[in-house]
Amino acid sequence: MSPTATTTRTSAQPATAATHAYAGKILRVNLATGKTWTEAWSEKDRREYLGGIGLGAKILYEEVGPKVEWDHPDNRLVFATGPLAGLPVWGTGGLTVITRGALTGGATSTQANGFFGANIKYSGYDAIVMQGQAKKLSYLYINDDVVEVRDAAHLAGKDTWETQQALEAEHNLSGHRLSVYAIGPAGENLVRFAAIHGDYGHVASKNGCGAVMGKKKLKAVCIVRGTKALAAHDTRGLIQAADDIAHDLKTDPSTSTLYNFGTLPGVVNLSKLGVLPIKNYTTNLTGDVDMKEWEAPALRGGFDHRGHQCNACGMRHCHIQVIPKGRYEGERVDEPEYEGWSGAGWTIGLTDKYSVSWLNTRIDRACVDVNEFGWVCGWVMECMEKGYLTEKQVGFRLTWGDTEGAYKLLQMISHRRGFGDILAEGVKRASEKIGGKAAECAIYTQKGASPRGHDHRGRWEEMLDTCTSSNGTMESANPTFQTEVGAPGRINPFDGEQVAKLVGMIRGRRHFEDSLGGCTFTFRTKMANLARALSAATGWDYRLEDAVRFGNRTAAILRAFNLRCGIGTEVEYPSARYGSQPVDGPAKEHDIRKQWDRMLDVWYETVNYDRKTGKPKRELLRSLDLGWLEKDLYGKK
Amino acid sequence: MAGKAQPRASREPASATIEVTTWVTKHVGGDGTGTKRFDEDVGEGDTPRTVLRRFTGRFPDLDSALWSPDHSELGSHIEVLVNDEVLGVTYELDTPLTGGERITLLGQFMGG
Repeated sequence: MSPTATTTRTSAQPATAATHAYAGKILRVNLATGKTWTEAWSEKDRREYLGGIGLGAKILYEEVGPKVEWDHPDNRLVFATGPLAGLPVWGTGGLTVITRGALTGGATSTQANGFFGANIKYSGYDAIVMQGQAKKLSYLYINDDVVEVRDAAHLAGKDTWETQQALEAEHNLSGHRLSVYAIGPAGENLVRFAAIHGDYGHVASKNGCGAVMGKKKLKAVCIVRGTKALAAHDTRGLIQAADDIAHDLKTDPSTSTLYNFGTLPGVVNLSKLGVLPIKNYTTNLTGDVDMKEWEAPALRGGFDHRGHQCNACGMRHCHIQVIPKGRYEGERVDEPEYEGWSGAGWTIGLTDKYSVSWLNTRIDRACVDVNEFGWVCGWVMECMEKGYLTEKQVGFRLTWGDTEGAYKLLQMISHRRGFGDILAEGVKRASEKIGGKAAECAIYTQKGASPRGHDHRGRWEEMLDTCTSSNGTMESANPTFQTEVGAPGRINPFDGEQVAKLVGMIRGRRHFEDSLGGCTFTFRTKMANLARALSAATGWDYRLEDAVRFGNRTAAILRAFNLRCGIGTEVEYPSARYGSQPVDGPAKEHDIRKQWDRMLDVWYETVNYDRKTGKPKRELLRSLDLGWLEKDLYGKK
Repeated sequence: MAGKAQPRASREPASATIEVTTWVTKHVGGDGTGTKRFDEDVGEGDTPRTVLRRFTGRFPDLDSALWSPDHSELGSHIEVLVNDEVLGVTYELDTPLTGGERITLLGQFMGG
């Protein structure tokens, strides 16, 4: 029987000129009442806000006031896709989750892939905006025009893979036919760094968006691949643009490894630069680990694996693996990204790749941010080694590289049991609570954001970006084809002024990428190429300068939102350990703290924001046609 | 005379090691893994630029991956380190070499 036989199918609707590339509608859900409705959004708004982070920033700013904290029912949880989603461009199943997050208390924008973005589009929506709090644990079911808030009692306590499997069985659909984004026990228990996971390996991980979903008592969003028509304005032009982007990905020296191996090359590459985070930043030396075993072909070749590509993707990036030997032999796992090899591996002193692979999937299934988990677990390991935390406090002895111990800690955190209840608040709050010497070891930004899985003491642009960002994670780094916007191709990475200027100059690119409904990896091409694809999809004449303008507008809106939430310039600093000078390795001669304040000065000057207040300057807002935002920030002139 | 250093009439032959790593090894006859090392002569006036130009002259694939299209500067695909430090810190492309340096070619990583 065809897997589609059980679904109720509506007649396909022909595409109209008004809806090229877009569904043209936003789905609204009030979880408290179960009411669902749609609202159209205008061509003007589509052009101004595109989708993804752009649309989400608008909704957040307009609908989430300063008194609406992350756990308030009126906080919005937005799942947005973009104009390229569902079209024949690689990796266009992308989803952006936008909300007010639990770690920083400010804006969150975090991306994930798989099929969700395409499924939303084919169902007739460009975004789902969820508000309110359900009366009991629920899941949202979407099948074209059927949108229902359904009871999820049978899913309570399940991890994310179990949840997806249960919903697949319930609806007799799987693979491309059904996309599920869900929280695990961590989200249900409001762990501040809980994430949202989908389609067996894709995670919207940042700033506790999973806790927001859990507070809304929303276990999962389950969306059948829809039947609505979707067409590009210029199909031939779109396919040509897509082919050109794919050709570049395959042949450009810097992206061809991404095409072949995804982010696997990162471990060895970054170790040579002193950017691999090892044992909670206590060293940058790989010791007697055979790094040949950590090269990309060895990381992939050591497992049985099969491709697990996202919507319309031709990359050899995502894989499902079977662990071939060792304690976890036979277990099916999602091949870790670089962030998983670091957060579930090197950060906690674990260098057995089979164990890392296993633990990384467990983290996805319990569903917390793998980066923050690494910082939390690594912090506990270091503090126990040094006697800053005791076995009595933690509940058991945890040492570097202890896989089962790390898993036990993960379970404690996910269920807020014992010491896990303190750790579930994230490493910033946990270390501040413990205090003393333990507090000096924790890695975080003063905003509360979790750094990505690199040692940013060797990569200053990322530290600066994470500390100044308004989206709960890196907002602009890493520089990608930066000469396109006039930024230098190479700088001295330890010259703070050069770093700050570069980070300022590339601002906006990531916002543009994250508005289009695709994957940051398949979009590793020049912005002009993405603009060409967007033009062909929509019929607009969209150029590089429009993309840069869009990105800077979105950044300004997110910045204004955060300022309104009370997140100002006083928290744009790394923690003591995060900003410390490495004791060894290639970056050991360099101390970012000596240049930090000057870096902020230069960054603010470059992005044209006020250094004292943090506000985008009036002239910038006017140049971006953000007069309404200028009025909000500065009052009537 | 015994015990007294002889003056050098000219510079003695010196060399630097070029270390090609990971995927960059594909451009120098490797399989894209591990590290391949090459000893390159370093003469009077040699710099990382001149040594790398000579080196990439022997490997056309590496030549197009390493240099900008007009060959005036390094491209953005490959990171160049001298003695484990990226260029732009202690060494620039035109800093004189004296021999004994290790020049590492490391593929750019755009991570996630």
